[in-house]
Amino acid sequence: MEQNNHDFSIPQRQPSVAIGIILIKFFRMTVKAMWPILLSLVIGRRAGSTFDDIILYVVIGFAVYNLLGSILTYFRFYYYIKDNAIVLDKGVLKKTRTNIPFERIQTINFSQNLLHQLFNVVSVEIDSAGANKSEISIDALRKNEAIALRDYIMAEKKQLIEESGTEEEKTISADKNPSDLLLHLKPGDLIKVGVSQNHLRSMGIIFAFVFTTINEITDNISDFIADQLGQYESYVVDNTLFAFVASVVLVTVISFLFSLVNSILKYYDLKLWLSNNGLKLVRGLLNREEVTINKNKVQMVSWSTNPIRKIFKMYTLQIAQASSSEVNAQKSKINVPGSYKHQISKVINMVFPSEYLGAEAKHFISPLIKLRIILFYGLIPSALGLSTWFLIGEAAFYFLLILPLSFFLGRAYYKKRSYEINEELIRSNSGIVGTENVLTQIHKVQAVRVKQSWYQRRKQLATIKVYTAAGELSIPFISLSEALQLESFILYRIQTDKREWM
Amino acid sequence: MTNHFENLSIDPNELPSLEEVNFKPIDPNYLKVSLISSALFFVVLIGAAIAIIELSDFEEKMNGYLISMGAILLFSVANIILTILGFKKKKYALRQRDIIYTKGLIWSVRTTVPFNRIQHAELKQGPIERLYKINSLKLFTAGGQSSDLVIPGLPDNEALSMKDFVLKKTEEDGAEQS
Repeated sequence: MEQNNHDFSIPQRQPSVAIGIILIKFFRMTVKAMWPILLSLVIGRRAGSTFDDIILYVVIGFAVYNLLGSILTYFRFYYYIKDNAIVLDKGVLKKTRTNIPFERIQTINFSQNLLHQLFNVVSVEIDSAGANKSEISIDALRKNEAIALRDYIMAEKKQLIEESGTEEEKTISADKNPSDLLLHLKPGDLIKVGVSQNHLRSMGIIFAFVFTTINEITDNISDFIADQLGQYESYVVDNTLFAFVASVVLVTVISFLFSLVNSILKYYDLKLWLSNNGLKLVRGLLNREEVTINKNKVQMVSWSTNPIRKIFKMYTLQIAQASSSEVNAQKSKINVPGSYKHQISKVINMVFPSEYLGAEAKHFISPLIKLRIILFYGLIPSALGLSTWFLIGEAAFYFLLILPLSFFLGRAYYKKRSYEINEELIRSNSGIVGTENVLTQIHKVQAVRVKQSWYQRRKQLATIKVYTAAGELSIPFISLSEALQLESFILYRIQTDKREWM
Repeated sequence: MTNHFENLSIDPNELPSLEEVNFKPIDPNYLKVSLISSALFFVVLIGAAIAIIELSDFEEKMNGYLISMGAILLFSVANIILTILGFKKKKYALRQRDIIYTKGLIWSVRTTVPFNRIQHAELKQGPIERLYKINSLKLFTAGGQSSDLVIPGLPDNEALSMKDFVLKKTEEDGAEQS
């Protein structure tokens, strides 16, 4: 065993490359907080005012502070194992000692950014079950040492649980059984994933970024735009249509490239393994992360597709696991784009009891939801739009186009909205142009809520929502009697089920 | 009632229905507390409006007063009516294995949390609530903030015994679990 090469009982520092990694972490934090100042400095230098010299000194000061800070952080950071717990000593001004017993450690995850990959080190994140400050991290460890550390902790933990724990807890501890590679995103599939991203969302992100940036630099956006466009004005007036088409094409191309590059960076060489106790995921180009998911901690599995992805027969698989704190809620949802149907069913078969996975009767919701969608997304917006008539004149009539749009929206939504239930599982199906399916085990539900609006009360309808430790599932506009039966049944199942929900 | 779900092993109609539960209204003092806190809010709002009008160089201060006070009056009357009518909808019930709370005048909401899913419970008391000796019972689940349950308007002694009851139940039902 490799374990013998590493003695974890004596306090150790991280490998010296950690200084660089901590420095870059500090630097990124500073830049993130101060980038408007830095930007104004770069722009202001040309103007050459003395005020900018002061800012320059401030920036140099911060750089020195970062350097000193990262060196001190490095020298004051020790990790070791003592009495079946991992201990971290750290702190430059205020010394802190963090002590996490092995039994409380849930998962140990690795991630690597470019620098990590260059020096063959990993950053280690230890997630423990507990209140707020439940996550600790080590910025850099040599890869073989990190793996040895994880194997050691998990083996010790297993032994501890076997000595004292119950049958159910035993399965929770991570195993070292051989695992099967379920999914490997090859370059061709990666391109397909990038092409079928939601480009509208990328467009939104780019617009938001551009506008906040301009807003940070200049106080008056319209002045800025007028300045920038002033010189093209005569040209633009003569060629409005051309300019319009050109800018639409440009924005589309940029959004497309943005989401393509984004997905390549994020999902490069994605691999998903299945083992007896859970899943393991590795992905990323510049920042390579490794996540382990414990089978018992999975609360919800969902899979969705959009029209482009449908052509490739691909789905986005999302596995949501219980998180130890509110902050990590987003982090605990793991997205695997570019999964094929058989891979998704394999994951579901492993996570949920397969004897309950057969087809069930689809229950549809009340068609009255179409009226609600037309009201909220059609009538009200178009009425608001029309009321701008006195401002923009006859152009306001274009807002009436929202009405037929909302009609089709309502029809598409109603057609796809349904749910399925059996003894063990509850599944919701939805979508407008794409589809989204969510599946959860009933005994993992934490709370049940039945809601009725004034309108729903008059029509004897209700909306039911169930909350799990990693997200919620809701079924809108079903008949009241149906909702009440669901409520009683789900509560009955939670209260009589003796299994652990996590 | 017809059974909508034939594939389930148990007919949901045979399960105890939440509709037949005897709900208990919360303490009437809670109505006073909410009226006082909204009165305080409107006093602050009126103060802010006066300050803005007096400090700015409006041509016609009279108009400013008329519009702002009219709007505030309208809002406060609506708020008082909704608070009084909505108060009657705030009810709770303890059953053998879960706790239920209902609220909402226009959008009615009923939340049920089984005891074996409660993480911990705490009592909260604001300054005005302290005057009237009432508490809010806050029940935390793993479902995150959106599914946490807050039952306001519980008299001191009742709130304490209810918290103890819930914690005892949570322990019992949780112990059966593993």
